[in-house]
Amino acid sequence: MPETMDELEERISLLRGHIRQALAAGDRAAVPRLRAELRTAELSWDSALLESDDSVPAPSPSGTLPAGMSLFPVREQVHQVLTVLGVAAAPRLIVATHEALFAGGLIATKLASLRRDEERSFRAAPYSRPYYVCAALAADQLVAVRGLLAISTWPLDRRIMGPLSPRVDFLTAAIRLVRHLQTTGELGPQSIRLLWPFTNNIPGASGPAEEFEPSRLIAAAQAELRIHEESDRQQREAAAERARRLSDAEQLFGGEQLKAVRSVTKR
Amino acid sequence: MSVVDERLNALRGAAPRKPHNARTLAALAANPGCRRRTLLDAAGIDKGQIAEGLGVRISIGQMSSIAIARGKGFEAKVKADGCAELLRLLREHIGLPVPEVHYHDLNPADADDRITSRLRRSQRALQASAESNEPTGTLFDHPILQLTVNGVQVRIEPDLIAFKLGNQFFIVEIKSFAILDGTADSGKVAAAAQQSAVYVLAMREMLQTAGLDPAMVSDQVVLVCPKDFSNHPVAELLDVRKQLATLKRQLDRMESVESLLRLLPPDLSFDPRLDAAGRPTRDPQELAAAIFQVTARYSPECLGACELGGVCRAEVSGMVPVLGRVVREDLGGIDSIKEAVELATGLREPDAGQQQAADLLRRAYGMREAALGAVR
Repeated sequence: MPETMDELEERISLLRGHIRQALAAGDRAAVPRLRAELRTAELSWDSALLESDDSVPAPSPSGTLPAGMSLFPVREQVHQVLTVLGVAAAPRLIVATHEALFAGGLIATKLASLRRDEERSFRAAPYSRPYYVCAALAADQLVAVRGLLAISTWPLDRRIMGPLSPRVDFLTAAIRLVRHLQTTGELGPQSIRLLWPFTNNIPGASGPAEEFEPSRLIAAAQAELRIHEESDRQQREAAAERARRLSDAEQLFGGEQLKAVRSVTKR
Repeated sequence: MSVVDERLNALRGAAPRKPHNARTLAALAANPGCRRRTLLDAAGIDKGQIAEGLGVRISIGQMSSIAIARGKGFEAKVKADGCAELLRLLREHIGLPVPEVHYHDLNPADADDRITSRLRRSQRALQASAESNEPTGTLFDHPILQLTVNGVQVRIEPDLIAFKLGNQFFIVEIKSFAILDGTADSGKVAAAAQQSAVYVLAMREMLQTAGLDPAMVSDQVVLVCPKDFSNHPVAELLDVRKQLATLKRQLDRMESVESLLRLLPPDLSFDPRLDAAGRPTRDPQELAAAIFQVTARYSPECLGACELGGVCRAEVSGMVPVLGRVVREDLGGIDSIKEAVELATGLREPDAGQQQAADLLRRAYGMREAALGAVR
């Protein structure tokens, strides 16, 4: 240790005094730096105490992340999840999937501003990143669908949401999730909980037994998917055809809603 | 803009418009004889502000932010993943066929999506699915419907409308009160049924205007609530025929706003003159004088359904209506409580219209005296 306990204690009280003085003098700008120094001194004091007394259990070192926290940035984590799901998804599903498949620690509130940040980045320097977390587009008005995230490298029609698409995507996600879990061999209780909304809401997916059967879920989802698939594909492709006329940024993050009144008054 | 709209805007003055919703319509239908409420609601006047300006503030239907957040969270859960939970419930309860999963989002697309354009979108989508032979629309999320209430257009927004091809439209109402062991708070269910009846009526009106069969809208509504103490949704079918009949009768009976306006001076205004902070600054006596030009029909139930309840109660203090509807009907022709007491005790001679009520009062007074005399 560079400093003895006595020196540390002196330093701590000195720093506390400085903070008080800085506050009294109205010098708020200096306070955060002083507080940080105080914090370091206190931490050193704590570890010095531990070294002198072995009976106190050591707390986890403060430098490392809590267990199960991913080191990837949020957009990487979202990309990981969306690549597994293969369809545009809402933050709730993304967070749940991330928790079951990856290290966890993705927080829904962090996803709220992600799409806006990505759009800002794209508009500032188009295509400077290998992919963007972008929006799904409503088939009728080609505006961004509320609360859905997608990946910019997907074909455009996969990001179009027609009337049947929410259900088709739900079924597709179910099939892809089960397949992913089967290949990685992670069909534990946590992933079964993740699949529960799918098992519960797809007709014929839950068997008579309480036990979860992956093949049954896949078969049920495929059976329903076959009913919707064809017309959904046509609607999506038709809308994608129209969407290609939009600018690049609008194709990714949604067009402006048509506002006849406004454009007239602005002119 | 019609003459009626102009007069109504003049009544409201500079205060912002407060539109009707299904809840206020249901409350209005519960007391159709109240001209004051009819007029203030039609003009979109914030009754809470008027009451505050008169110093008798009552807040009605103001939910805590936690309750609102819970309601919204539950609705989002029911509609999550392409309405997965809702589709399961509808397949169970109204036998929705598996191919019908079309979802139409009629929520505002952005912050300044105007209600008129949402109304047009909703009407187009709903009518197209009603006319089509193929499934083109099954779930309509937050459509806008329009209902004409005594000559004024009122826009309302149900949680969801489900359409079963070749069969019927169902209003789906998502509420966050729990169904415990198959039963729920009867008051809340009744309120939900009232509200849904307004939606059914509006939807029928829309179909009729479009030349379609109004009977396509089912008189059963689907109520979706959390089950027991969980957040897991269950559905129940509610029969709203009774509420629908009451609502229709009372909306028909309501006097037209136009005829009400004819009785009032043209320069009348209920503007509370809000200051920058939204506080009313108009002289309370002047405001009261304006408000009291329109007659109210107070009953104690108003206190739970109308922001002006306190004002109207103070107005009729010492009068018969304070005692409730039953007493008011029994004592027809008698205005004040003092008069009723005098008639009962024989201090006053009844006039021609009061004879029946006076007999009743005297007999009751006699019985009371006899009963008390036995005790004395």
